[in-house]
Amino acid sequence: MAEIYLNDIAHGRSGDKGDTSNVCVYARKPEYYDIIKREVTPEALHAFFGDMVKGEIIRYEVPSLGGFNFVMKHALGGGATMSLRLDSLGKSMGSAVMRMKIHVEDGEL
Amino acid sequence: MKKIAIGGGQGFWGDSPDAAIHMIRRGDIQYMACDYLAELTLSIMAKQQLKDPSKGFAPDFVTRILKEVGKEAWDKKIKMLTNAGGMNISGCVEAIRQWAEAEQLKGYKIGYVTGDSIKEKIPQLLKDGWTFPNFDYDGDFHEIVDKIYNCNAYIGHEAIEQCVADGADVVITGRAADSALFLAPLAHEFGWADDDWDNLARGIMAGHLLECGGQGSGGNYMYDWRNVPRMDELGFPIAELTEDTFEITKAPDCGGVICEQSCKEQFLYEVHDPANYITPDVNVDISQATITQVGPDRVRIGNIHGKKRPDTLKLCVGYHKGWKTVSMLSFAWPDAYEKAKYCGEVIMKKMARLGMKADDVHISYIGVNSLHLGVADMSEEALKNLNECVLRIAVFSEDKSECAKIIPEISPMQLNGPPGASFFGGRAHVQEVMALWPTTIPRDALDIQSHILEV
Repeated sequence: MAEIYLNDIAHGRSGDKGDTSNVCVYARKPEYYDIIKREVTPEALHAFFGDMVKGEIIRYEVPSLGGFNFVMKHALGGGATMSLRLDSLGKSMGSAVMRMKIHVEDGEL
Repeated sequence: MKKIAIGGGQGFWGDSPDAAIHMIRRGDIQYMACDYLAELTLSIMAKQQLKDPSKGFAPDFVTRILKEVGKEAWDKKIKMLTNAGGMNISGCVEAIRQWAEAEQLKGYKIGYVTGDSIKEKIPQLLKDGWTFPNFDYDGDFHEIVDKIYNCNAYIGHEAIEQCVADGADVVITGRAADSALFLAPLAHEFGWADDDWDNLARGIMAGHLLECGGQGSGGNYMYDWRNVPRMDELGFPIAELTEDTFEITKAPDCGGVICEQSCKEQFLYEVHDPANYITPDVNVDISQATITQVGPDRVRIGNIHGKKRPDTLKLCVGYHKGWKTVSMLSFAWPDAYEKAKYCGEVIMKKMARLGMKADDVHISYIGVNSLHLGVADMSEEALKNLNECVLRIAVFSEDKSECAKIIPEISPMQLNGPPGASFFGGRAHVQEVMALWPTTIPRDALDIQSHILEV
């Protein structure tokens, strides 16, 4: 078993609507889809972000595109207009998700 | 078979006009739509208009696009659509009229759509019992009523389509949904009915893939940003639709990339539930969608479905929330992070002594954790040999004078603080903080009208 960054097997993009951040995460190869599905659960993502994401995290699966959409509520310190964060729009939430460490079995990659 | 091509010319107010200009000159398109409005843009425009009634729209559409290629578009019969009207549609129309007259474009038809701005209707709606529930937070709408800058409904494609049907060469709107600007000409060309949900959904997704400009063609592209060809000449995406097919491509001889991954990154951008992507025109289902490369810089989008549109429209309400001050000080090796952190502590001790009553304080370190915050690598290994680090302190208060208290305490740190502090970014100033109240409104509360002004 090895520990890797999600970034090693996925790509995506973050966007904002008010204080909600969405991050789409796609498998870089079709066979990585199941690894992401197993490792990047809403619970795991919440544990990873801690109080940086204050609200619910919902995961939507889009297998026809080999990807997932994560919707994270109360995740931007109040949202574009109010946030005191440097990145008030959460443009870097996508890369933040990608630095999550995940476990892969021998032979999975 | 009839094929219609539409380009996305702008991703936001302040975007580069280069791709739009190139698309008009070299793209094989019949329409180009330009999106200027992000969530907060209307509040900023409303504020500008309060100070100067001639402002409140995005003049860039006239000064940076029409002046460059408006005449060429007219010659080629390329029609343009834009929400550049913002809070001042008549001001935008007048600027275009003056431009068209100066260019001697006799018979140039300016279409425009009114009725999205409903701030003046709020008292009556409240009286009628509409409560404007906030979908993100608890709160009573009455508490913000006096502080509202703008209240605009996200309107759909029908009135825009009417302008196109009436022969408009350009169509100006206020807060039309971004994707409605793209759907409108497609619905007109293909004769899609207002309840032809699957086709409306295809048109919306064409708009969705185009409305952010370069984000649909290799900009902000995580998958393989190093290898995007000619990023300095990034072309923006073009959608080509027939009755049966829907493809994304770009104009010849420009940079950027159109591939499966570039489209996928934009496809779910700012979407929540992929099976229920709600727009004013249709509830879109992209949960089974497919994206397939069918040629160089050309992908085909498939399996998009639509369901009945909602009975309510999303409202964009911007209001005054309070004030903020952002201050920065930079530090260099050795111990750059340690010095920045210590300096922040010194400043906050002084602020406590001065009795600053901030409602919120956010301290971060640029170069360390200002972007990734709680998930940034704060290990000793990551921090020990930093070349430089910038302390950033952001303060929010509903009271402007509380925010101002920190300003004179920053620059003295250059002489009175940890070694090497440098005043970064100039003297801070108190900025207004505006907030959004996400809510909806019944469709029948609006009076949306289409108009044509012929030059």
